[in-house]
Amino acid sequence: MNNLVFGKYIPIDSFMHRLDPRAKLIGLFLMIAAVFIPKSWWAFLMIAVVELIALLLAKIGIRMIAQSFKPMIVMMIFLLVINVLTLHTGELLFMIGSVPVHHDAIFNTLFVVVRLLLMISITTLLTATTKPLDLTLGIEWILKPLEVFRFPTHEIAMMVSIALRFIPTIIEETMRIMNAQKSRGVDFENGSLSQKITSILSLIVPLFSVAFERAYELADAMEARGYVPGAERTRYHILKFHLADYLFILICIAVFAASILSRIFL
Amino acid sequence: MAISFKSLSYIYDKDMPYAHKALDNIDLELKEGVITAIIGETGSGKSTLVEHLNALLLPSEGSLEILDYKLIANQKIRFLKPLRKDVGLVFQFSEYQLFEESVLKDVAFGPLNFGYTAQEAQERARRALKLVGISENLYASSPLELSGGQKRRVAIAGIIACDPKIIVLDEPTAGLDPKGAKEMTDLFVSLNKKMNKTIIIVSHDNEMVYNVCDETVVLSRGKVVYAGDTLDLFNDPVKLKEFDLLEPQIVTFRNRLIEKGFKLSREARTLNLLSDEIVRQVRR
Amino acid sequence: MSLIELKEVGYSYNGEQKAVDGISFSIEKGSYTTIIGHNGSGKSTLAKLMAGLLPVQEGSIHIDSLKVCEENMPKIREKLGIVFQNPDNQFIGSTVRDDIAFGLENRLVESEKMEGIIDEYAQKVGLSGFLDYEPQNLSGGQKQRVAIAGILAMKPEIIIFDEATSMLDPKGKKEIKKLMYDLAGGDDITVISITHDIEEVLQSDECVVLNKGKLFMQDKPEKVFAKAELLKKIDLDIPFIEQTRDTFMKKKLKLKAKDLEGMAEELWRYRSNR
Repeated sequence: MNNLVFGKYIPIDSFMHRLDPRAKLIGLFLMIAAVFIPKSWWAFLMIAVVELIALLLAKIGIRMIAQSFKPMIVMMIFLLVINVLTLHTGELLFMIGSVPVHHDAIFNTLFVVVRLLLMISITTLLTATTKPLDLTLGIEWILKPLEVFRFPTHEIAMMVSIALRFIPTIIEETMRIMNAQKSRGVDFENGSLSQKITSILSLIVPLFSVAFERAYELADAMEARGYVPGAERTRYHILKFHLADYLFILICIAVFAASILSRIFL
Repeated sequence: MAISFKSLSYIYDKDMPYAHKALDNIDLELKEGVITAIIGETGSGKSTLVEHLNALLLPSEGSLEILDYKLIANQKIRFLKPLRKDVGLVFQFSEYQLFEESVLKDVAFGPLNFGYTAQEAQERARRALKLVGISENLYASSPLELSGGQKRRVAIAGIIACDPKIIVLDEPTAGLDPKGAKEMTDLFVSLNKKMNKTIIIVSHDNEMVYNVCDETVVLSRGKVVYAGDTLDLFNDPVKLKEFDLLEPQIVTFRNRLIEKGFKLSREARTLNLLSDEIVRQVRR
Repeated sequence: MSLIELKEVGYSYNGEQKAVDGISFSIEKGSYTTIIGHNGSGKSTLAKLMAGLLPVQEGSIHIDSLKVCEENMPKIREKLGIVFQNPDNQFIGSTVRDDIAFGLENRLVESEKMEGIIDEYAQKVGLSGFLDYEPQNLSGGQKQRVAIAGILAMKPEIIIFDEATSMLDPKGKKEIKKLMYDLAGGDDITVISITHDIEEVLQSDECVVLNKGKLFMQDKPEKVFAKAELLKKIDLDIPFIEQTRDTFMKKKLKLKAKDLEGMAEELWRYRSNR
């Protein structure tokens, strides 16, 4: 559980951490779009360089990003095998036994892999530098136009932020219950199907009973502090764009534009 | 045989920018057959230490020998189940591990996992429940419907039923009312005295530690700063000050009595023992 | 009229057994009242009834002459705050700052004014340097201090502490108790504390003892603990000094002193007289 890097916020201070979450969200959309447009390696190189600079600015080690790639390796190998077996266009490069390996199979796989890696590192960059709560505020802002259709953005944002607030608590709780059951001889990794079901039950039942207890107490605490669902509230966090945010979006737009141009001219 | 930690360190989130050394080069021997208290501030590494005892955590550096098992940093272990059967760990707020449909089934869950037959497991569960004082008419009810104190006793029965040689309890009295706490203390004292179990208990309650624990380990910021006799520790004002521990009230009272002229043995560690000695001297 | 008046208050969760049964007492403005009783004696139910988190089924509760009921709730919420037992389950915001802001947001305080209020009350509870900390990086005692700051920011007249120190380590307990005394002493806040902590009871102005949902006694703490025999019967803990008196009493040595020093003296006199 602790090795999970993807989606985890890294609590340090950096230029990237200080950017407005809305700017980062807009940047994310632009950059991901930029990754999917070009067909030229030069364009990928450009995006990779920009991404690398951003990572440096975020003070996030390359090793951590490399770790976030780990879960993808199996998928990439799988993709390569499929491509080698099915794609027989382009120059014949070499044979593995009786299996011919063609130029397009290798390069198509590489293309997809590079896109995936770029996409993952861009997303990781966002989640590693943006507090979940700020992310919620950013998403709430982007969804704001939906309020015209009576979409309860505020309540949903409140729900999401409470859920995010409790994720570490629930993870801790899960670990504790798992440890308690392991101490009673439960093996969460091995065992027959029926044993597996029992082990999962031994985790889920206590987890739910604790979660419900927490929910009731939290509801009491919120009510006691004057929260009424749907009632008008003021907001403490008011997001403000700074010069750096505009600059950041501008750079992302430039990358996006460059990748479109690369598609047309290269 | 003793339980011995040798240059053991544990690091949380190793290789991450926020890695944290919870245990720092621990060298420690714990005696078998006695009650040992582990005390120290929150975050001093108490829970991390006890989670090594049944291999829920494995040392990042160094090693731990316990019973016939040996845990060495970076080495896989093959004896997980027998170790966990022999070293029973009762977690803080252990009432939150109950999940079966009946009290009896929940207590039998551990023994079943450790390979006892269904019948043996039931028998062990019954015996354990009797020991912790849960009456028979509750055996069939859902453990989730019991009171807080009862739940915790059922949870502890769930470990006792596995027949461990060593029982580790992480703050077993936290959140209980005074009567519940007293019963809990009596329970593990009798497990030690009558069934000869080694008891290791993590606690914040110095009065209780002084009353019943033979040995005490004081942890501070991941290091062992004291390990030895409980009476020595709490009767030494210099050490109490150094480790920022409160003097148990019984020690204060005993010192006052000695100042007046009473001759009191060191072993008079509870009010009852202390008053016995005084009454003897008064009536002589 | 007293600040808080309970008259024949009754409540049942399931319609059969009464968790709280015919309880009447009153609490004066600016006092520090402790409520003690074994687990299941109805203490927490009573706290929730006073805070309006459960509807009063029988009898009545008045706070500052306002009846505790649905329609008066907004006004009562302004007068009264409650701190619960589990520090984790009342931390609503993602950081200390956000958590203190939560109540202010509900009160429609403008964003620009919040910063100053947050700073003021974070300082009051000694958490000025922790404003951007997340709950998982705070100790139990610190989390409870955040809860108290969040309530103080709403300027209540009464704060109920529902076993607010029972899940904390000794250091956390000490911190929170100190804060509670200061609130009652210096800030003219009426404190009601449900507790098992004898030391705390001894320092309070008034003690209410509950047993099986009923009022057992209400008196000054010294007077309550003087009835050690009675308290033991209802599974309550008694101070060390009373335990000592009780232990020697059973062995036919009567002690009258009010502190350990005096008791040691008395015992030595017994010995010298023989």
